[in-house]
Amino acid sequence: MEPINSRRDFIKKMTAASLAASATSLPLASFLSSCTGPTSEISSTADTVILLWMAGGMAHTETFDPKAYVPYEKGVESKRILSTFPKIPTAVDGLEFSEGLESIGSVMDKGAIIRSYKAADLGHILHTRHQYHWHTCYEPPQSVQAPHLGAWIAKELGPANPVIPPFISMGQRFTMGEAEELKAFHTAGFLGSEFGPFLIPDPSTGLDSVKPPQGMSLKRFEARYKLYKELVDKGGHMEQGSDYQRESLMRSMEQSYRLLNSPESKVFDLSEEPKEVYDTYNTGRFGLGCLLAKRLAMNGGRFISVSTEYEPFLGWDTHENGHLRARKMKELIDRPIAQLIRDLDESGHLDRTLIILASEFSRDAIMEGRPGEQVKDQVDQPDVIEDEKFYGMHRHFTDGSSILMWGGGVEKGLVYGKTADERPCSSIENPVVIDQVHQSIYHALGIAPETHYTIEGRPFYTTPDGSGLPILDLFGKPISSKT
Amino acid sequence: MSEIDWVLKLLGRFHPMVVHFPIGLLVIALFLELFIVLRKNQGLRQGVNWMVYCGGFFALLSAVLGYLLRVKDEYSGDLVMDHQYLGISTALLAGITIVLLRYSLRGKFKNLLYYRISLLLTVALVGFTGHLGGALTHGEDYLTSVLPGGQENNQQRNSGDLLAALSQTDSLSLHQKEQLSVEVRAIFAKNCYQCHSANKNKGELILSTKEGFLAGGESGEVVTKGHPAKSELYRRVTLSPNDEGVMPKKGKVLKKEEIALIELWIEQGAHWSDQEVKLFPEAPLALSKPVLPTSSDQQHPIDQLIDVYFDREGLEWPDVVDDRTFMKRAYMDAIGLLPEPAAIEQFVADTNPEKRSLLVDALLSDTHNYTQNWLSFWNDLLRNDYSGTGFITGGRRQITDWLYSSLLSNKPYDQMVKELVNPTKDSEGFIKGIEWRGVVNSSQRTEMQAAQNIGQSLLGINVKCASCHDSFVSNLTLDQTYGFASIFADSVMELNRCDKPIGKMAKVNFIYPELGEVEAESLKERLSKLSTVMVKKENGRLYRTISNRFWDRLMGRGIVVPLDEMDNAPWDADLLDWLAADFIDSGSDLKHLMRQVMTSKTYQLKSVSYAKPEQVKDNYVFEGPLVRRLSAEQFSDAISQVVSPVFHAVEYNPSGERVIAKRIWHQEIEFDRTVLPKPGKRYFRRTFELPQGEIAEALAMISVDHSYILYLNGQPLMKGQDWKQVDKIDLKKHLQAGKNIIAIEGENEGSIANPAGVLFSMKIHYESGDPVEINSDTSWKTTDKVEGDTWLATDYDEEGWRPAKDYGNANWSTLVRFTFADQENQFARASLVKQHPFLSTLGRPSREIVTTSREDQATLLQALELTNGQFFNGVLEEGAQEWLERYGADSERMVDDLFLKSLGRSPSKKEKGVLLEALGSHPEKEQLQDVFWTMMILPEFQFIN
Repeated sequence: MEPINSRRDFIKKMTAASLAASATSLPLASFLSSCTGPTSEISSTADTVILLWMAGGMAHTETFDPKAYVPYEKGVESKRILSTFPKIPTAVDGLEFSEGLESIGSVMDKGAIIRSYKAADLGHILHTRHQYHWHTCYEPPQSVQAPHLGAWIAKELGPANPVIPPFISMGQRFTMGEAEELKAFHTAGFLGSEFGPFLIPDPSTGLDSVKPPQGMSLKRFEARYKLYKELVDKGGHMEQGSDYQRESLMRSMEQSYRLLNSPESKVFDLSEEPKEVYDTYNTGRFGLGCLLAKRLAMNGGRFISVSTEYEPFLGWDTHENGHLRARKMKELIDRPIAQLIRDLDESGHLDRTLIILASEFSRDAIMEGRPGEQVKDQVDQPDVIEDEKFYGMHRHFTDGSSILMWGGGVEKGLVYGKTADERPCSSIENPVVIDQVHQSIYHALGIAPETHYTIEGRPFYTTPDGSGLPILDLFGKPISSKT
Repeated sequence: MSEIDWVLKLLGRFHPMVVHFPIGLLVIALFLELFIVLRKNQGLRQGVNWMVYCGGFFALLSAVLGYLLRVKDEYSGDLVMDHQYLGISTALLAGITIVLLRYSLRGKFKNLLYYRISLLLTVALVGFTGHLGGALTHGEDYLTSVLPGGQENNQQRNSGDLLAALSQTDSLSLHQKEQLSVEVRAIFAKNCYQCHSANKNKGELILSTKEGFLAGGESGEVVTKGHPAKSELYRRVTLSPNDEGVMPKKGKVLKKEEIALIELWIEQGAHWSDQEVKLFPEAPLALSKPVLPTSSDQQHPIDQLIDVYFDREGLEWPDVVDDRTFMKRAYMDAIGLLPEPAAIEQFVADTNPEKRSLLVDALLSDTHNYTQNWLSFWNDLLRNDYSGTGFITGGRRQITDWLYSSLLSNKPYDQMVKELVNPTKDSEGFIKGIEWRGVVNSSQRTEMQAAQNIGQSLLGINVKCASCHDSFVSNLTLDQTYGFASIFADSVMELNRCDKPIGKMAKVNFIYPELGEVEAESLKERLSKLSTVMVKKENGRLYRTISNRFWDRLMGRGIVVPLDEMDNAPWDADLLDWLAADFIDSGSDLKHLMRQVMTSKTYQLKSVSYAKPEQVKDNYVFEGPLVRRLSAEQFSDAISQVVSPVFHAVEYNPSGERVIAKRIWHQEIEFDRTVLPKPGKRYFRRTFELPQGEIAEALAMISVDHSYILYLNGQPLMKGQDWKQVDKIDLKKHLQAGKNIIAIEGENEGSIANPAGVLFSMKIHYESGDPVEINSDTSWKTTDKVEGDTWLATDYDEEGWRPAKDYGNANWSTLVRFTFADQENQFARASLVKQHPFLSTLGRPSREIVTTSREDQATLLQALELTNGQFFNGVLEEGAQEWLERYGADSERMVDDLFLKSLGRSPSKKEKGVLLEALGSHPEKEQLQDVFWTMMILPEFQFIN
């Protein structure tokens, strides 16, 4: 192979290579027939999506939608507990957050908040079922493998920069409880593994995934590939005539070699950041994930998710000590998220980068499931709290979650939807369901709402039946109040 | 390919272009000639002459190019030959025409009459030849298909014919009325169901059922019997295409004959037949056991059938592959392993003409390896895996034990099906489905999953679509699906359309009721009945489906595709039905089925390459097996054989030996919850008393994630840092009667909390008396901090130490070498390994749903895994270390052996030169590792040719 002289050159070559590849190597082409029927043209307002995933069920009343504060004292009644933190002001007049989220509050003039997300009713709560639903828009189980939101985007738009995989998922490992359920939606499903997530469990070692194998010099890496090419030539392996399977193998090896040999992989190298920037972000793996997300967004990432790792009963999944643990979680996310917004804004990338912060559902001190639904309690909560470990939001609540959005055409300073101030703190204005969230993201990216493929004879849409609609109010269209 | 060859081939391909010149020139020449004759216009004479000359020249050229095209691109068949002869005749006649013209012009003839006749004949011949050429390109029925009575119309159920027949009589017989009704309903099905069926009743009109039709729409009755003109339905379909109210919809109207049929039907009283209307083609349920052709010279039944097929397709028998290629094919297909070099040489040297059949027999009787190879196929098909969703909440069961033993004993397939459908505890996982906690969509109830999975896996029919609504891809209805699913239900099921109850209760019924009754009081009885009905010989579909899957597995492409849509047309119906019938006759012996295919000459044909995947989809003609890529499991096992074990631990252990020792670690707690161990050192102690007596042997095994130092009675005795390795040591010398202390310093590596575990087992045999066993378990004590080395002593005060936590086996599976028996060189077969990122990247499916075919093309994510994946490169590095220890600096022998082991042949001189140069005179681990990588990536290694 000719040496690659410059970055421009390289990108040109890679684009050609990946275009050629995508034109001929759709791995599941046998099962898929492409979109049929008219597709509407939407002009996009974003090229890149960053999903900040609050895994485990983040209580809205403890974070972005605080209610009356009841401080802890021995003997306080559970039913009085709506919020365990005082309210604080934000950069938007009249918008208040919960204490501990001052930094995020300070960048709310650059973004919007939805305060009325209603998760699906799936009965006896299993986090990963709701997470599956949030990420694929389909309730598990499904008779075909539903693709992750990021896989749809990867499939429809491809990489923004050929050297950066179009679907990157950071922060989540698959080793502890519910690992299999997590894997079930971290997939491109029937779209084919080509569009599946590029997993980076630990952002500080992200670079390892995109450079020659550990301990192998660039020179040796190049020599190894040359040896392979030479042996292919000498062995007359191609004389048997062209075969699509063989060709796809040869082509994919060449693509991968070019990727790993590219100077662009430096994007994944966090050590290139100045120390003070690194330190600002570094609240742990989640913070570093935000830092890597920033670098990727600035260099042509397409869909990037950063997750506070989901492990049953850990992270946001507070079954006890809810107050203390919510404080810790806020420390983990507050500074890096705010810094991410600010950095992207200052560099001008925020305009075309859509950032979303969300969780599978909310929590409450009393309600399990949602009002009016009898769902099996998973936590014993005493009526009267004698031990501080019972002070907090320990039950799963599927109504009234908050979703934050910044950039990518999102109306600045917008507050959409509303929850009641008294228990149950349900959505009482402009309720939002997951189909709308997905379609809003697709809308920003210019992906038509009726996008679908036919699998096993069934048309499979980005959102069930293709019937979801974007929330146009988020993009500066006039607010229409629906209750 | 030699140079001249491709030039000729290229020239041949110009035929389709050049051929249009003579057509155009000669036809226009004739046209102008007529002009001259009729108008007496001699002004055109000169031009026409030149047209004839050029036309003749190009006719000749086309004929030559056409000949090249046929020969070089290997076209054959009657049509081609006819076209060729006619083409040559045309060229000759064109030549004659030129000669006649020249003669006439020179005055040898008194006028142009002969030339004109000849030109006329030439043009007529051009027309015929052109038509045949067109038929070659577009298919023989290209023209006729659109003629009245042509095939395109046939597919429309001959509306025209029926109309003609029925219009002639005044009063219709009942039979004719039935015919007419079915015909009209077929028109409804095709044109109206989309909006007016139970699925979507626009205007409250349902045309798919009698009740719906009689009830009419929101504006009342749609048909006034006997009066088309008064019928709303008739009015709507006869409106102008631009009218808003026109049906089927604006811009689309029914055909004239269709409208006429509807008119006739209404006139005749709009009789509604109770006959079923089938919109989609259906394969017959029963098998037609074809009689084997006697005409053929072939011995093997499959070859006899293929002989007829080749004849029909105008194909010659291709060559068969050489011994080495055959061996890799047979080994991979039967046992999923590469042949050892010695076996290859022996086989190649063997002169027994029956050796290939004998090899197939030998391989099929290698029961454990056969089972471990085919286990993956069945796991995919039956959605069985060691891990996956549902297990965590008890909503899923494995059938591995049952499956493994069924394959091991070559259980008859009908018996397997019976046990899957009417299961014991061991096989119930299949119909039990996957149950997630919480409320699920009605189409995903476990009863529905049972119907869907039996439909897809065993019967090759898509039940999924009809689980929500009447199917859009087959004749299956929602009613039928619920009837089928009800067999598996504890209570009566209510039909749900698109997850909404419709107030109708399901009636238990199998989707092929002609096979027999399945209704019974209890679930168990119904399952028992179903299992009997399913495996009936009359259920050809069951046997066809599995035969087709096996053919696909062994030949690279099914006789019917997709494999799960068995109503599609096979490329050779006789072959498929013969295979299935022969399979039944053998007692549903799966190995018999394999043996039939693998001992045929057809199986041994050279593999066919296809430039594009579309070529193996539509219009496929069988010419030999396809090139196949090694599956994720086969690839991994092949590397284990050649280089170094890829996997060391299995999730399912066929040897059945149970490990008593537990993976233990220091318990780490955060907010009252046990969390993943943090990186760092942890300390483990276990004291024990030994009796007096002579110790014969005290073998200890240890494996620690990540590293350890093992102490016995204060002495450091062993170190290790690879959890995949099992270190073994005889501790006889260090043990004492009375109190002993085993202490372990373990370290968890990495930058973040991650799994860690100590696995230890020791068996102390005495010259006389019972053996003593010490295993790692919760009786051990642990801590995260020690000072000095006092903790290594027997009399150390364990205050503050906690009982060890048993971290289970889930993260490590069962190490195959963690056994007191000697197990050198053993690796874990990939089919027994828990799903692993390496395997899943290479295409092992997650088995959340039934998977019947894997991706056949490589992807970038796979290439990345192979290029820089730490796991794969780690295996190669370990292998390089082992090889160097074995071969020293003998590079030549290393290269020879590597070729023999991986490709089953010796390297060519060139190949050897390249590799020796890469290794250098003193090969180091790095160079050898890179040579391994190169060999494992080669297409020749990764494909079965």
